[in-house]
Amino acid sequence: MTDKRSKNEFLKEQSRFLRGTIAKGLADVATGAIVEDDTQLLKFHGSYMQDDRDVRGERAKKKLEKAYSFMVRLRIPGGLVTPKQWLGLDAVAGTYANRTLRVTTRATFQFHGIIKSNLKRAMQAINAAGIDTKAACGDVNRGVMSVANPHLSKVHMEAYELAKATSNHLVPRTGAYHEIWLEGEQVTDETRPAKKDEEPIYGTHYLPRKFKIVFAVPPDNDVDVFAHDLGFIAIVKDGKIAGWNVTVGGGMGMTHGELDTFPRTADVMGFCTSDQAVDVAEKVVTVQRDWGNRENRKRARLKYTIEDRGLDAFRAETEKRLGYKLGAPRPFKFTSTGDAIGWRQSSDAKGAKRWHLTLFIENGRIKDRPGLTLRSCLREIAELGGIDFVLTANQNVILANATAKTKAKIDALLAKHGVSIRTTSGLRRNSIACVALPTCGLALAESERFLPDVVTALEELTERVGLKDDDIVIRMTGCPNGCARPYLAEIGLVGRNPGLYNLYLGAAFDGSRLNKLYAEDVDKAQIVRLLEPILARYAKEREKGERFGDFVIRAGYVAATTAGNKFHADVKPLKGDAKPVKVVS
Amino acid sequence: MTAAPLLPRNAPFSPEDIDTLNTVVSRTTAQQRAWLAGFFAGFEAAQGGQPQPQPLAPPKPREPLTVLYGSESGNSEALALKVKKLAQKHGLDARVHDMADADMSVLSKAKNLMVFVATWGEGDPPGRAVDFYNTLMSDAAPKLDKSQRFAVLALGDTAYAQFCAVGRAIDARLEALGATRAADRIDLDLDFAKKAAEWTEGTLAKLAPADSGASTTVVHVDFKGGAQPSEDEEPAFTAENPLEAEIATLIDLNGTGSTRETWHVEIAADAPGFSYLPGDSIGVLPENDPELALELAEAVGLGAEGSSVQKLRQSFDITTLSRNLVEAYAKLTGRGDVAKLVDPKVFAEFSADRQLIDLFETFPEKLSSAQLFGLLRPLPGRLYSVASSLAAHPGEAHLLVGTVRWESHGKNRKGVASTYLADRTRVGDKVRIYVKPNRHFRLPEDGARPIIMIGAGTGVAPYRAFIEERVERGAKGRNWLVFGERNYTFDFLYQLEWQDHLASSALSRIDVAFSRDQPEKIYVQQRLWERRDEVLRWIEDGTHIYVCGDEKGMGRDVDVMLARILAEGARGDEEAGRAKLKELAKAGRYQRDVY
Ligand code: SRM
Ligand SMILES: Cc1cc2nc3c(=O)[nH]c(=O)nc-3n(C[C@H](O)[C@H](O)[C@H](O)COP(=O)(O)OP(=O)(O)OC[C@H]3O[C@@H](n4cnc5c(N)ncnc54)[C@H](O)[C@@H]3O)c2cc1C
Ligand SMILES: Cc1cc2nc3c(=O)[nH]c(=O)nc-3n(C[C@H](O)[C@H](O)[C@H](O)COP(=O)(O)O)c2cc1C
Ligand code: SF4
Repeated sequence: MTDKRSKNEFLKEQSRFLRGTIAKGLADVATGAIVEDDTQLLKFHGSYMQDDRDVRGERAKKKLEKAYSFMVRLRIPGGLVTPKQWLGLDAVAGTYANRTLRVTTRATFQFHGIIKSNLKRAMQAINAAGIDTKAACGDVNRGVMSVANPHLSKVHMEAYELAKATSNHLVPRTGAYHEIWLEGEQVTDETRPAKKDEEPIYGTHYLPRKFKIVFAVPPDNDVDVFAHDLGFIAIVKDGKIAGWNVTVGGGMGMTHGELDTFPRTADVMGFCTSDQAVDVAEKVVTVQRDWGNRENRKRARLKYTIEDRGLDAFRAETEKRLGYKLGAPRPFKFTSTGDAIGWRQSSDAKGAKRWHLTLFIENGRIKDRPGLTLRSCLREIAELGGIDFVLTANQNVILANATAKTKAKIDALLAKHGVSIRTTSGLRRNSIACVALPTCGLALAESERFLPDVVTALEELTERVGLKDDDIVIRMTGCPNGCARPYLAEIGLVGRNPGLYNLYLGAAFDGSRLNKLYAEDVDKAQIVRLLEPILARYAKEREKGERFGDFVIRAGYVAATTAGNKFHADVKPLKGDAKPVKVVS
Repeated sequence: MTAAPLLPRNAPFSPEDIDTLNTVVSRTTAQQRAWLAGFFAGFEAAQGGQPQPQPLAPPKPREPLTVLYGSESGNSEALALKVKKLAQKHGLDARVHDMADADMSVLSKAKNLMVFVATWGEGDPPGRAVDFYNTLMSDAAPKLDKSQRFAVLALGDTAYAQFCAVGRAIDARLEALGATRAADRIDLDLDFAKKAAEWTEGTLAKLAPADSGASTTVVHVDFKGGAQPSEDEEPAFTAENPLEAEIATLIDLNGTGSTRETWHVEIAADAPGFSYLPGDSIGVLPENDPELALELAEAVGLGAEGSSVQKLRQSFDITTLSRNLVEAYAKLTGRGDVAKLVDPKVFAEFSADRQLIDLFETFPEKLSSAQLFGLLRPLPGRLYSVASSLAAHPGEAHLLVGTVRWESHGKNRKGVASTYLADRTRVGDKVRIYVKPNRHFRLPEDGARPIIMIGAGTGVAPYRAFIEERVERGAKGRNWLVFGERNYTFDFLYQLEWQDHLASSALSRIDVAFSRDQPEKIYVQQRLWERRDEVLRWIEDGTHIYVCGDEKGMGRDVDVMLARILAEGARGDEEAGRAKLKELAKAGRYQRDVY
């Protein structure tokens, strides 16, 4: 009987707990790359090998290999960063990366453009700031997100602490990380066998695929809880957390034209208490470890395990491993997935006033441009000290827990650097885009560099019909993997070809319902042309408090998506008539 | 003019026969002449006779002539070697010495002495001549007798403040030591060929024994060379007789985002007699930037008058601001303010990153085209290390050209030849090139010898040729490249080729130093230091070490570092390290091509 497991399974098995030949590859100066197999293992260490796709066309002619560099993703549970850490990371961006910090849709930082000869030093600088990159990528539990601002209340802080505990509990234990990045040299001895018990939870094969956990506190669904493999929804009773509803089987990624791949909103599986949460997380992870599909990576996420085995079977197995039953889910209500942009006040334990600024950061890219020196601004704010930085799942940054005095100083620095806390429209305020070109190897179209133009074009339109300040969620990705959770956007744009996107409509504003394909292969002009009449009607005909995502269904533009496995059902997409525009690749 | 091997008028044949022979001989290639030589030698041998042309009259008694040269890039050397042949017809028996291996006894013994020497660095002797020069200038120099006669030819470049400084110093020193000047020293600029030939003829005539009736002296023609392009053979194409060749490829090798601009230039030079060896340089005769030519014409009130602008573009050096030129301009215009500039300190001050155009614009005067041309020197060629092996690319010569651009005094300055190739030529255009042999930058004869190739930026060019040549020759020796530039991602010149050579083990190892990729600067010499144990081991194995590239930017520091590493090998003894490096140089195992 032949072994049908996917290539990655053998890689993991033979990697001696993620060591592979990474250290040797780093030492080879003739190339800026590392070998293919090691690039797979490197992900578990928080880094991806990439190349600058903008210049691919010219390299060979110039007798140069691809312009390789490395993306590094940090593990920042709950997205909380101290001013001191911020300064350390800012220095890494300036010294080793492309002078930008990138806030991701999972509330952490990514560095781009680190060349191989600097990778180790960058890793050491990051660790010196008290942050690691373990399991930020790879077939393991990824960074754990929690509700945007822990400082809002005791409840929020508790959610954050739990997120941190869960992340630390599920982090891979292999010594490879320290050997390769922090201690160095001795790993180059590839014969050295790894200790048997190096991974108590994951074992030699880790998970079949990536795994994502979040903690949400209603009414804010700012972590998009239904988009993740495992979610915890706080059930709050008179200012205290009574426990958590447990959700499983969410995910976004799909592949164009492969109908057995689809985005999926998670199911509520049960209820647990705070002190059970970490244990529940571990057991859900181990069931997925043993039940997940290890032959087809395209169907290896937990969401497909749930589809294939059924929720009940999965719950039963989880409870068996827990040794107790989960409680019945409790009612909860979410209102929105966005961040409340701007200043907001709270009072701390001792009742003292605290200020929190949620700063809108377009597509999470923190850099200096002429006239808008955002990176310098935030650096100088960090130098003030006395606050916390919180990264959000909407790619924004919260300057949390400021005294009135600090607030004044912050306002002054924002003004000095041309940073406005007001956003140009409700659409922009609710826009997120994935990275895509030029660094993402999987991008089929632009995203981060393109969505702002699309929004600008649409703003002109919403202005006209009087929706300028209405919150409408718009998200774009450069491919169907869904890194900006576009299938949970009222307006979702997913790249198909250079310049061409699929347009999805009808997701719920609170993140509970997926959208549906409305038009295929449309370019910017067509997107605007198609949305114009719909937005105009929405402005006129919407019922009180009716959201755009609900209106398009009531008005019959698209059918409601009732479940992930219905995502591709009853679609009648309009076809775009534009030709793909040429870009490098 | 070509170096066609014409039989001299006094050859032992009738004038008619000489003409007939010459019509054939003048068309012969090195290989054909070598064949003929071999043929006649063989024939005579077979007849039992000796291959000596029979003199018409008994040879006259001959005077000894000592020819001494100090040369870096081979100009002085070539001139000195030519004397050997010419001397015979003046009844002089010439022995040629390179300062590199000569000692003072050569001087004390010399009866008649001709010196050909270049100036390098900033008024320094050529690298290999330093020891000789220093001893000559020291008390260790021998007293000379007034019966000893000498003459000095100095090569230089008026672009440098210390024009022909070394020639001048030697000329004065020989006199001070007591010898007699037989002919006045001549200081020559880059356009030295014709003047050098005349001076040499004149000086030989002066040194020739009174009774040497040149007309009847027999020429002993010695045929050199063979199938391989020979070391002492004058190349078929020279600055005076360049080859018009077509540009086949022109690529800026630096990636988008680079702070550098380095062009890979492939020239189709498939002409009979065109050949070079790895280590040689190719001379390029450039044209000036037409806009600058126009500016200059206008600056002296000539306006856009076609013919003179074209001459300025093609024939004259219109960028170099030399003291000689300022002096001449002061005389011509009679301007006091210009005259003040001639003072060396004032001149140094003014000329620092200024060019000719600045002189004319700061001190404007109307000039006739004749007056203007009178001030200018011919446009000199520029040398580029050949980056290809003829064996690997028959009929081609590849160059690696770093574009020179800078901004000063509100003007955008452009290097003449590098921007001529980068901006003003296209694939398919013809460029005028010539070959500049460099017998002092050569692969080891023994293909089994390991080599270490150290170069930064365009200094890597000859190593591409070296590797290709060794592959073609099937040389088994190990090859180690140490390369430096600014940024790994943009400036790793020929990266894909090095990767292929590593894969095929044509290249045994590579180390790189990219100065601007990390907070602290890293240069090739640091890499050598980090790898010093291997370096010493390789040297023990008989390695030849090569250094190529910018002298100020790299050559000097690498030289110091090599000495330091060798000192390590000698338990930290600085002196021993230095000595060992000199030894390697003398043995031809440490060769430099720095510019
Ligand atoms: C940076 C980020 C997008 C952003 O603009 O912020 C991102 C960027 C990338 N994602 Fe993602 N993903 C990011 C959040 C997501 C999300 C959103 C979420 O988790 O809330 C999703 C959808 C949810 C899900 O997992 O289904 C997501 C689904 C994917 C997938 C599809 C996974 C699937 O099972 O279908 C891939 C491709 C893959 O894994 O094979 C992917 C792969 C990638 C890679 C690493 C491309 C690659 O594998 O070579 C992208 C790197 C681009 C670059 O140059 O930085 N990324 N990715 C987000 C980083 C999150 C983090 O900090 O950990
Ligand atoms: C043996 C030998 C081999 C060589 N091999 C190569 C090779 O392989 N590749 C290569 O690229 N070059 C090589 N060179 C150098 C080359 O010959 C030219 O000198 C170089 O290309 C510049 O010529 P250019 O006509 O473009 O510039 P030019 O018009 O000659 O101008 C150069 C001069 O401009 C001035 N200048 C330059 N930059 C500045 C500045 N920033 N500020 C002020 N003044 C400045 C300096 O006086 C400099 O001498 C070699 C030289 C030698 C002698
Ligand atoms: C890097 C460099 C430095 C030079 N420095 C001087 C100098 O200081 N004074 C001078 O008169 N000529 C200088 N020259 C010009 C040379 O003397 C001239 O090219 C000469 O023809 C070289 O002769 P050679 O081939 O025998 O070494 C320099 C040339 C180069 C390439
Ligand atoms: S969605 Fe696709 S294009 Fe965008 S970052 Fe993720 S993988 Fe890349």
